[in-house]
Amino acid sequence: MATNDKALSRRRFLRFAAAGLGAASVAGVLAACGAKKSDDAAAGAEATKAPEEGKKANVELTFWWWDGNGQIWADAYNKLNRGATVKFVNTPFADSHDKLLTSFASGTGAPDIASLEIGRIGGFTAKGGLADLKSAPFDGGKYEKDMVKYKWTQGSTTDGRLVAMPWDIGPAGVWYRTDIMEKLGLPSKPEEIEALISHTKGKKWEDFFALSQQVKEKSGGKVKMVADAATDIYGGALRQGGEGYFEGMKLMIEEKATRPAQLAADYRKQGLDANIAWWGADWAAGVKNDAFAGMVIACWMQGGLTKDQPQTIGKWRVVPAPEASYNWGGSFCAIPEQCKNTEMAWDFLTWACCSAEGQNAMFKPTGVFPAYKPAWADPLYDAPQDFFGGQRTFRVWGDIADNVASISRSPYDLQADDIVNAEMAKVMKEGKDPVQAMKDAEAAALKAIEGSTP
Amino acid sequence: MATTTFTVAEQKAQDRRTRRKEAKRNVWAYVFVAPFFFLYSIFGLFPLVYGVWLSFHQWDGISPMKWVGFLNYIKLFTVDDVWWQAIYNTVWLFVGATIPQLLIALILAFIINSGYIRFKDFFRAAYFMPFVASAVAVGILFSSLFGLQYGMFNFFLSFFGIDKIDWLGSALWLKPSIVLVTVWQWTGYSMIIFLAGLQSINPELYEAARVDGADTNDVFWKITMPLMRPVILFQVVTSIIGAMQNFDIPVMLAGGTQSSAPGGTDHAGLTAMMQLYWSAFKYNTGSKSGFGYASAMSFILFFMIVTFSYLYNRANGRNLTED
Repeated sequence: MATNDKALSRRRFLRFAAAGLGAASVAGVLAACGAKKSDDAAAGAEATKAPEEGKKANVELTFWWWDGNGQIWADAYNKLNRGATVKFVNTPFADSHDKLLTSFASGTGAPDIASLEIGRIGGFTAKGGLADLKSAPFDGGKYEKDMVKYKWTQGSTTDGRLVAMPWDIGPAGVWYRTDIMEKLGLPSKPEEIEALISHTKGKKWEDFFALSQQVKEKSGGKVKMVADAATDIYGGALRQGGEGYFEGMKLMIEEKATRPAQLAADYRKQGLDANIAWWGADWAAGVKNDAFAGMVIACWMQGGLTKDQPQTIGKWRVVPAPEASYNWGGSFCAIPEQCKNTEMAWDFLTWACCSAEGQNAMFKPTGVFPAYKPAWADPLYDAPQDFFGGQRTFRVWGDIADNVASISRSPYDLQADDIVNAEMAKVMKEGKDPVQAMKDAEAAALKAIEGSTP
Repeated sequence: MATTTFTVAEQKAQDRRTRRKEAKRNVWAYVFVAPFFFLYSIFGLFPLVYGVWLSFHQWDGISPMKWVGFLNYIKLFTVDDVWWQAIYNTVWLFVGATIPQLLIALILAFIINSGYIRFKDFFRAAYFMPFVASAVAVGILFSSLFGLQYGMFNFFLSFFGIDKIDWLGSALWLKPSIVLVTVWQWTGYSMIIFLAGLQSINPELYEAARVDGADTNDVFWKITMPLMRPVILFQVVTSIIGAMQNFDIPVMLAGGTQSSAPGGTDHAGLTAMMQLYWSAFKYNTGSKSGFGYASAMSFILFFMIVTFSYLYNRANGRNLTED
């Protein structure tokens, strides 16, 4: 018995030892790769240093964004040898802003260039931590005329400082699939659909409902026009009145959200949407199964669809939304006060956000639409898009973007969003009266922020 | 044998000398334990004390801190109904998940330990496997299984003519869905702990009981259960601590998106830790959110954990772990 035990443990020991050796050798290989990489990087840095005589030493800048495509900017900028190397860090969206906040609270760890999303910008412009891009050493004021107007306002504080440079915008419209529309025997050319539903032809949401009804009837209820009225209808109609629930610091949930909520509730009641929640596996399966013929969303959907639903490339078309143009989402670039190399950080930021070269380097492969208007002069914007079956969509987006109403942001945006969304869920899932729901949301939001001075 | 006499002063000096000598003799011991205390005071003690300090302030992390005394606690106890809803959900999920989890784990451990079955190692590993998976991966997997239109669960239910269930969308089903995932992930872990406890019971006791004519039922209730009480106590207390901090699975299943609030419909899946995190980092601004307010939440949670653990200990008679 005892010997048996010993033998067993010996065998086990050998097995573990072998596993350990294997792991060690893998680690060794990895380490070797790592070493090689950093050697390359060092060589690269050497190479960049060589041609720029007389310039100061190469500094390293960190740039945070929540999309792997940030590397595109880093690579393009680093090739120019302007005296700085940009190191891109992919910070997941869920905690990108939280990380920035933590670095402000602790006084250390902020990047040289940070990106901020529209939904979170209000919380940052109302407080400190970000440098004023209009005062020395920066001179951001001169870009005001080049930027989409509402975006400039959002990046500014109430006392007129500019703390976040407009980067991209999210002009939104109605997307639809030509293949599904054709199969159902419905009009499928952009001009035809535009004539039926777009605000450019004086059409309203009621007209969009009518088209949705046709999709439902022609398919025998199998195909719906959109996935989820709470996102497609409510999300669109709300943002047509300006994104967010505030005017300045005044809470406007009832005024802004009641009609959109009613529209979405009606749409759901008539069975016009597929009742598939956005952003999840169900939604992806819905696209694959042709469960809905379109969506009401912003231009940035192109990137994700290209990656995740390549079978739909070339089948999408886009037309302006019913009732009005609007914007959904978009981001900013900012320089935290902690930044040490302000000169080079500013150089990168202006190259990226305030030059046609930088903006289009990002826009061309990703569809992240520049807020910097001179970038739109590029012939690129007249080119037919394969993703949209040859439609010249970039012009469509540009026309939409130029007609978006001003949008004000507040530090309570996210809180108000969540409170309204919670009430919207009751409307959509439990059939709560939308008018009452928005009354309750307003009361809850007032309670949440009462007694607060930002 | 000469007797030496000491004055009081001399005696004291002698003591001091001995103490110093002792300290000198053990100097390396102090050096070796120092890193722990050093690290603990930086990463453990300081944040803890700072957290208490923070909970008396209103602070968004950027603007200057504002002293508010007990106001954060007063607001939490009197006006913040979302917080109490979150506490209710947390306790609901604790009871709903922990009881089935521990029961199933105990039964599984008893079966695996009993010698009735072969391939023990395989079962042990198989049940433990879900625990190894990261909560994020589990969350993505299950949110796809729970899908309303194309989820696997609803697909199976359709064979039995059962209507589609909105697992993650309806307030009614969200909590059971979270419970299901939690039990799936944690049962294997509890089972391993129970198994370790079962194996530490002296087999002679069982043999003696058999000789005295006890059947399996008697053996389980009269020998296994009493001797397992310290292990069960450990499990319950760690479950209380874990459940009060329940965060990752609810966030993955109902964490909110661009068009939905964290916690899902009617905040049905909003746990206390979620509300705390959202208050600190997401909402951040105002007198009912921010780092100070969230710190106050965390201390309320802390005292709840202490109270629950203490009550369970008391209900269980004396502390059996000290036997």
